Amino acid sequence: MLSLILIIIAASFFTGIIIRVKSLASGRKGPGVFQPLKDVSRLFKKGVVYSETTSFVFQIAPTIYFSSVVMAMLVVPFGQSKGIISFNGDFIFFAYVLALGKFFSIISAMDTGSSFEGMGASREALYSMFAEPAFFILMGSLALLTGHTSFQEMFAALHIGSYISYALAILGAFVLMMVAMVENSRMPIDDPKTHLELTMVHEVMILDNSGFDLGLILTAGYLKFALYGALVVNLFIGVFPYQYSIPMFFVIQLVLASGVGLIESFMARFRMSHNAQFIFVLTSVSLLIFFGVLLILGKFA
Amino acid sequence: MGISGSFLYYSFAISLLGILSLFFLPIRLKANLAVLVIFLNSILTSFIAYHVLTEGTFESNFYAGAMLGNVQIVVDTLSAWFILIINFTSITGALYGSGYLKAYDNPASKLNLHWTLFILFHLSMVWVCMLQHSLVFLVAWEVMSLSSMLLVIFDYDKPKTLKAGINYLVQMHISVTFLTVAFIWVYFQTGSFSFLAVRTFFGSNSNLWLFLIFFVGFGIKAGFVPLHSWLPHAHPAAPSHVSGVMSGVIVKLGIYGIFRMISFLESDFLLLGEIVVTVSVLTGIYGILNAAVHRDFKRMLAYCTIENIGIIGIGMGLGLIGMGTGSPVLYYLGFGGALLHVLNHSLFKSLLFYSAGSVYQQTHTRDMDKLGGLIKRMPKTAILFLIGAIAIGGLPPFNGFISEFILYSGLLEGLKSDNLSQISLLVFTLAGLSIIGGISVLTFTKTFGTIFLGSERESHEHKPLEVSKIMLVPQYLIVAVMLSVAFVPQFYLNILSSLLGNFIPGFVHGGASGFTESAGTIANVNIYSMLFIGLAALIWILRAYIAKGKSKQIQPSWGCAYVAPNSRMQYTGKSFSKSLGKMFGFLLIEEKKYKELSVGEIFPKPRKHASHYLDFFEDRVINFVTHHLVYATNYFKFIQNGRIQSYVWYGIVFMLAIFLMTVVNILK
Repeated sequence: MLSLILIIIAASFFTGIIIRVKSLASGRKGPGVFQPLKDVSRLFKKGVVYSETTSFVFQIAPTIYFSSVVMAMLVVPFGQSKGIISFNGDFIFFAYVLALGKFFSIISAMDTGSSFEGMGASREALYSMFAEPAFFILMGSLALLTGHTSFQEMFAALHIGSYISYALAILGAFVLMMVAMVENSRMPIDDPKTHLELTMVHEVMILDNSGFDLGLILTAGYLKFALYGALVVNLFIGVFPYQYSIPMFFVIQLVLASGVGLIESFMARFRMSHNAQFIFVLTSVSLLIFFGVLLILGKFA
Repeated sequence: MGISGSFLYYSFAISLLGILSLFFLPIRLKANLAVLVIFLNSILTSFIAYHVLTEGTFESNFYAGAMLGNVQIVVDTLSAWFILIINFTSITGALYGSGYLKAYDNPASKLNLHWTLFILFHLSMVWVCMLQHSLVFLVAWEVMSLSSMLLVIFDYDKPKTLKAGINYLVQMHISVTFLTVAFIWVYFQTGSFSFLAVRTFFGSNSNLWLFLIFFVGFGIKAGFVPLHSWLPHAHPAAPSHVSGVMSGVIVKLGIYGIFRMISFLESDFLLLGEIVVTVSVLTGIYGILNAAVHRDFKRMLAYCTIENIGIIGIGMGLGLIGMGTGSPVLYYLGFGGALLHVLNHSLFKSLLFYSAGSVYQQTHTRDMDKLGGLIKRMPKTAILFLIGAIAIGGLPPFNGFISEFILYSGLLEGLKSDNLSQISLLVFTLAGLSIIGGISVLTFTKTFGTIFLGSERESHEHKPLEVSKIMLVPQYLIVAVMLSVAFVPQFYLNILSSLLGNFIPGFVHGGASGFTESAGTIANVNIYSMLFIGLAALIWILRAYIAKGKSKQIQPSWGCAYVAPNSRMQYTGKSFSKSLGKMFGFLLIEEKKYKELSVGEIFPKPRKHASHYLDFFEDRVINFVTHHLVYATNYFKFIQNGRIQSYVWYGIVFMLAIFLMTVVNILK
């Protein structure tokens, strides 16, 4: 329950901070931190425009996408407090329920019959497919290290080990953050502020969404960021008491958000054709973690 | 012979009577009679299966002449599980087929043959699960292969169909050769044709090689890579109800055979488990990669079958590893996941084949890039296909997720081992399974999106319409069973739990503790799926409430300010998976046919560009070998020269040789 509230709070400022950091880095003052929330609430009040080629798929997809992100949020724990849903193998449910949301967002893009949106859909499907093994190898390694298979138990047991486990946690944080970038279509993979449809990934998929549906999709995006941020935080807080862990949560989320903002200010997006290789590199980082775990456990005997 | 035993005679009598009267019925009633016969046969054999599941193994035998002696019929829970799956899929297949064939103008003789074969096909599949006498088993196996081959070439006037049929025929006989060799080997070592002799064999000999021969023999049927190359030809060539049943169950009989042999194994579990897992992961990845790039949607489904066989194989391998390491939890999760996935795959794959068949019947094309926007013309078929697509991707809240979740739990359970090679293998399997999941999302979003969404890419001579009720009802039935697996998995898991309890008699399993523990988790998973549906419904209602009274406009799609878009400009299935195809270019061989612009061509004329993907193993390995074989056998062409005189001469030489050899005691 605690994690849910914290994630929602973090989601409310995460994207705003990214935008603010980007503005500051480019020498502007920039909008307030809560501007994205205002945008969304304005969208919720607006009417809708549907494309004439679309069917009911286009209309239910944003709802399912949003619910899938909320479902995934319920699984994420916070330190020793479990998520609302917690069971052995819950990270599989986490990944698969997010995949269901993605499935619908992809077919809703195909539903418009636009070539741009089809292109975005194809890229989204390809990139998230490549991100999948990295996440699973990371989680498998953590399961191997801790002997548990649910998010909360894995994260809680992570800290009993040696200092090397913190080194692994840093690598793990890197992988999770990059997966978050892929899932949210942010900088090294995709530039949300690009102005050409041909170079977009996620933005082009939602070109035809409007009103309440667009609001849902944007909110889901904000939540997703905070969601992966919370997973990263979990790698470090372990069993710390709440008076330390809750401030730590916000500090880490802030650092991540400004990090994303800085990366987006000083880096160019990768070439589309190199993205897949880049994402696949994440899998090898995950494998590094796996070998690290084998070392810690002394299985190389 | 008890009550159940006589049921088998009844089913024979019904089939015989049915087939005979089939010839005297008018065309429009033939299908109905066939459905009735299949239904009655299914009821009878399902009753036996039900009896087995509640009361325990049913055994019987009949005397089959001096040569074969007593033939054992054993229906244990494993057979019962497969028999029930076969019966359900055959009933839906026959029902669907009766509607499917109505749209075509077929002569009576063709229909007679078709439905006769379908009845035989169903019966032989059931018998394959019952017979435990290797020679008679092979006969039933052969009847199954031949009848299905003849069903595949229903449209025998198309050369491609005929070629696919012959390809299937040849490969099935390679499979039978392997099985025959294996059974003969057992016979020579033990002197018995009974299946139990296989256990005796395994008890006193090395388990590895005989099992591998069986694995190859049954694996050709199941479609393990690189033994899969008949599948992508036979499935698209067959009429859709046949491909649905073939992909749904005939492929699973290969799995049944492997399971049967696993139950006789006595040692080498760990090694065999690791071999099976490795082959299966590669099968899964290879299958889904190919499925992702193909434009022919039935071929895509055929490759997807190969992928699912890989997933089932992962479960079998895990179970074997569990037996090897003495871990009952792994044993239950591995074999249980595999068996549940057998059921699940038979459900959603037949659903997908049927709905794809409906599309084919209405549009007469299997090329998805010629379709589009069908959701408006065939909304029911579209929703059925969508349900199948979500389920086959293993996504919640459908049944595919349950079996994949069990397999994932098994993989994580296996990680607790101390064996380095096993841990590494399982982590790679974990990654492999997740890649398979990711690519199958890509494959099915592409297929569903291209066929059903957007707008029509080419106009059709006859406007496609929603198919008849008789074709939709079997699909609704399948969806109902799928939902029951998804939301009441405990029921199926209890059956599997008792099945696995008797599956390996010698294997110590501390009660069903491992399975019930994870079964509890699975019960939660379906509650969470329901929660998810509830949440989505809540947001949907909220959305409707907020949308009330707000403006709602219908406008063209965003076209980047281009004012004359046409439907050919839509993203195609081919381009959707192009980047993936490029990345795995070493496996997915693309063959392009086009003419380059020549230097002096100032005003180029319209030209064609065609491209399609080749199967790596078929094109690079199998064809390579067969070409060289043909080349080598060319040297022996002089033997088969077509002259009767030479053939008579060969006969004389042969007889003389035999005679002389007996005279000089070379041949005894």
